[in-house]
Amino acid sequence: MSDAGVMFPRKPRRIRGRSIAVIVFLAMAAMFFCVPLYVLIVTSFKDMDQIREGAIFSLPIRWTWEAWRFAWFDACSGLSCEGLQQGFWNSVVILVPSLIASIAVSMITGYALAIWDIKWAGPFLFLLFLTAFVPFQIIMYPLIRLTVMMGIYGSTTAIAFVHTVLAMPVLTLIFRNFYKDIPSDIIKAAIMDSGSFWRIFVEIILPLSGNILIVVLILQITSIWNDYLVGVTFGGLGTKPMTVHLANMVTVSTGTVSYNVNMAAALLTAIPPLVIYFVLGKFFVQGIAAGAIKG
Amino acid sequence: MRLRWSRLSPQLAMLPAVSITLIAFLGSIGWTILMSFTRSRRLPEYAVDWERPFRQYNRLFADAGWQISLTNLIVLALGSAMAIVFGFILAALIERERRGEDFFRTVFLYPLAVSLIVTGVAWRWIFNPQYGIQHVLQSMGWETAAFNWLNDPTTAMYAIIIASVWQSSGFYMALMLAGLKGINTEIWSAARLDGVGLFRVYFEIIIPMMKFTFLTCAILLSLGVIKAFDIILAMTNGGPGQSTWVPAYFTINAMANKGNLGYASAAATMMLAITLVVFLPLVLLTVWQQRAAKKGAI
Repeated sequence: MSDAGVMFPRKPRRIRGRSIAVIVFLAMAAMFFCVPLYVLIVTSFKDMDQIREGAIFSLPIRWTWEAWRFAWFDACSGLSCEGLQQGFWNSVVILVPSLIASIAVSMITGYALAIWDIKWAGPFLFLLFLTAFVPFQIIMYPLIRLTVMMGIYGSTTAIAFVHTVLAMPVLTLIFRNFYKDIPSDIIKAAIMDSGSFWRIFVEIILPLSGNILIVVLILQITSIWNDYLVGVTFGGLGTKPMTVHLANMVTVSTGTVSYNVNMAAALLTAIPPLVIYFVLGKFFVQGIAAGAIKG
Repeated sequence: MRLRWSRLSPQLAMLPAVSITLIAFLGSIGWTILMSFTRSRRLPEYAVDWERPFRQYNRLFADAGWQISLTNLIVLALGSAMAIVFGFILAALIERERRGEDFFRTVFLYPLAVSLIVTGVAWRWIFNPQYGIQHVLQSMGWETAAFNWLNDPTTAMYAIIIASVWQSSGFYMALMLAGLKGINTEIWSAARLDGVGLFRVYFEIIIPMMKFTFLTCAILLSLGVIKAFDIILAMTNGGPGQSTWVPAYFTINAMANKGNLGYASAAATMMLAITLVVFLPLVLLTVWQQRAAKKGAI
């Protein structure tokens, strides 16, 4: 169809019948993909009277922020009725140390494995590759005991610790593969020059890490923000992340269910990663490709 | 002195990662496997039950909930495989028709950025019998439309499959797109010159050339399915009854709700065993791919 166009800069060409069919099919697929988001958005802006009419795809007759306001300030999750805002701030407080710890550990390990002579580096890399696939359930209970022993169970620190543990294998492999491709001349010159592990890291490696750091940062922000299981298992009263608050809010609601509030709550939880995705989509794609083994 | 320190610091820098691997992964796995051979209930007992070491496993495989979980695992894997097919079709179309590539890619991938809890809320709302799609279709005149899938044990799993295909198709599309772009464009020219039809080019040339990509996708999918937990929790919470239990859900339930440590450990160990069975082909695939690359077969 467009053999020349693939090899050479594209020339504008006529839209042909087949082209139209393809675009129509893609557009229909795109609509299917947008349906859940669309339904969430319109429902969150309706009032309950209109929702009870049962036209799930219709636009709100009267657009109202009421459900959003209620979801953020007043909705009940479990016993507390302070809205999702608490969960939001918990998630932010979890996110920061989790990001710093998980990236710091894997970055330095990846750097050491890629550049320096490490004993047993080969077997260790293979071991990391294996551990990247271990189901969380098999290490869950021992990690609970470990965090209890460390005296941090139920705190934000425990959640950050577990996120660091779970992310370490994949992130280390990503950083290691990135640093391995740094030209060895640069490294050799740097080792001759100063020879210090940390100075080379700070002066050579860190300035070269901009791109991979953004990719990993986005990968980690989305996976930590969207995590439920670690948060619900290791979080305590007042430290559970937003996803846990959302899940409690939509499942344990007593009396009549306010669907508009539930949808607003779901959107509030989804907005931070969605904003990152739409603004930095290119890096997000690189991230999921690099972290593909994370599954 | 400085030289010695610089040789020591790389090894020291490995300390956190090595201790995580040894304690949090290997140690924990060993501990859980040990627990699966004991009679531990709420609290760990370290004495292996030598008389009947496999008692937890015997109980496990006699448990209807576990059998349902294993069946659902296979159903979910086969159903989710649609995401690979769908992903390939989308990637192929996007690759042929370059117009709007960025737009379509962005739309197909956004579900991946959203928490599965949110995905569950959205799809549960669509499947809501009172106000959801069923009601819309019925009020449009299709009186017998039945989309109350989530409350029916025989169909609840299909609703979960639809949600997870929606969630993950974009991921496979991205992998397939990368694979398609790696294919030498001269093949297209050659095939078209020989007058080979479009579908035959795909089925006889492109898909066989992408066998590594397809295999990688299949293995990633299987590993993802074993881990499936959030989506089940958010869509059905295992119900109705036990009809949507999967091993990941079963294990957490045995631990958190039943508080039966030995039993949950046996289930977790079986999850690890399933992972290994899926994982082994991945290792072989990597080796195979490297050999093929060396021979220049790719």
